[in-house]
Amino acid sequence: MTKRSFISALWFCAPFAVLIVLWAILIPYFDVNPRLFPHLTAVVQAGIEGIQDGTLVQHIGASLLRVAVGTLLALLVAIPLGVAMGVSPVVSTFLTPLFRFFSVLAGIAWIPIATLWFGYGFGAITFIIFNAVFFIVTYNTLLGVSTIPLHVRNAAASLGAGRWAMLTEVLLPGALPNIVTGIRTGMGFAWRGLIAAEMIATNVGLGYMLFVARDFYKTEVIVLGMIVIGVLWLLLDRLLLAPIERATIERWGMVQRA
Amino acid sequence: MGVGDAVKNLVIRNLSKTYFDVYAGTQVTAVRDVSLNVPESEFISIVGPSGCGKSTILNMIAGFIPHSSGEILVGGKPVNGPGPDRGVVFQSFALFPWRTVLENVAFGPKMRGVGKVEREKIAHEFLALAKLSEAAGRYPNELSGGMQQRVGVARALANEPDVLLMDEPFASVDAQTRMTLQEELTRIWEAKRPTVIFITHDVAEAVFLANRVVALSKGKVLDEIEVDLPRPRVWDDLHENEQFKSLTARVLQLVRSA
Ligand SMILES: Nc1ncnc2c1ncn2[C@@H]1O[C@H](COP(=O)(O)OP(=O)(O)OP(=O)(O)O)[C@@H](O)[C@H]1O
Ligand SMILES: [Mg+2]
Repeated sequence: MTKRSFISALWFCAPFAVLIVLWAILIPYFDVNPRLFPHLTAVVQAGIEGIQDGTLVQHIGASLLRVAVGTLLALLVAIPLGVAMGVSPVVSTFLTPLFRFFSVLAGIAWIPIATLWFGYGFGAITFIIFNAVFFIVTYNTLLGVSTIPLHVRNAAASLGAGRWAMLTEVLLPGALPNIVTGIRTGMGFAWRGLIAAEMIATNVGLGYMLFVARDFYKTEVIVLGMIVIGVLWLLLDRLLLAPIERATIERWGMVQRA
Repeated sequence: MGVGDAVKNLVIRNLSKTYFDVYAGTQVTAVRDVSLNVPESEFISIVGPSGCGKSTILNMIAGFIPHSSGEILVGGKPVNGPGPDRGVVFQSFALFPWRTVLENVAFGPKMRGVGKVEREKIAHEFLALAKLSEAAGRYPNELSGGMQQRVGVARALANEPDVLLMDEPFASVDAQTRMTLQEELTRIWEAKRPTVIFITHDVAEAVFLANRVVALSKGKVLDEIEVDLPRPRVWDDLHENEQFKSLTARVLQLVRSA
């Protein structure tokens, strides 16, 4: 790690450190009822217990697995579909409004219908993730492909690129910055949708863990869950998605067009 | 492609192009009854005012747009869509931003199925010809406009096309760089002797580069003027050259009179 990125990481953590210190001091000082908000030590304790008895790991594993499966399935369908739509100006113009609409809608609005179609459990929740990622990635792929300058496609054709080479050498790399942006936004929605869906439609996962703890006034488990949810997303976003996005867009000098 | 002893010439007979203007609902005839004969290894410039149909002719030869009537024969074969027998250098460079300079230049050979080692050798050779060896590992957006267009020229030439088509390739670089690029192009032409169609609205540029200048106005060929200036051509010599001055004046008068 360079000195600079170390310092910027420190700055990123600083406000959280302040918050934790305030928490450690103020809750005991005002003698807050643990049924309303837990002590820092209780949350740490709950975290250690969760790791030791394996329940926390189990919930995290279930949530991450659903995100991974749902996202992967969505990408497998969305990227080819987006490319196919993007190469035809007529098709892309026609379908763009539709995909914009569903991009905004995607998320917890699908929960009721998902539980009717798939019942409670893995299927319904994976479907929520799938939707959150699918519509945005399809829309972004379509946008990315349709905004590749015509002369760049012409250049490839006059250098001898056939249909397959056009796809792999021009359309996919040309749309990649948009696709990555789409995946990043879509997974953001997916993660929020996941937690909501797990509160309703399952019996394992971080959302479920939070929701059940409420029934027993276990505020320390609720807060632990909230922290884990936030930290996992930050790690995923900052350590995996953001660097990929930056690498494609900055290295290639391609302005983000979404 | 340069297979066997096929002649790398270009024959255009009675070529016309009529666009349908969707907004005005009218027919626009951009090119009328143009005939041209470009023998192998000749360098011709097509010069004319904005809107006279230069790009339309070039795009039809490249196969990017269909022609309305007439014939285009490259090495005796009728043109039917874009193909590697006709290399194109674009005004806007049209490089692949996601590929390094070396990979851009190696693109044509790659499409022909040339192996990695061999095509990188070819690419290095043409980069050296374009005085770009140092930039091989960089990405297009890290280069100046002049350097990007050198890559564009090297990329088109590395594919060894029968005919090289250039549409105002130096129009978007500053005057000094443009003169350097013009001198380099004549040097490269002498080294490789490709058949070149060079489009420009700059009369001096047209005369400086070509063996023959075709003056175009309102979609029709006005006249063709032989340029038998000695080579190698450099601006320092030609600025004060009487023959260059009188040729330029003649072409200018021709273009302006129409
Ligand atoms: N796609 C199109 N649809 C309708 N009209 C067109 C189209 N493309 C070109 N034209 C018309 O055809 C004529 C010739 O255009 P062209 O682009 O070939 O000119 P040009 O000589 O290359 O001009 P410039 O020097 O400005 O590039 C112009 O009148 C232009 O408006
Ligand atoms: Mg033009």
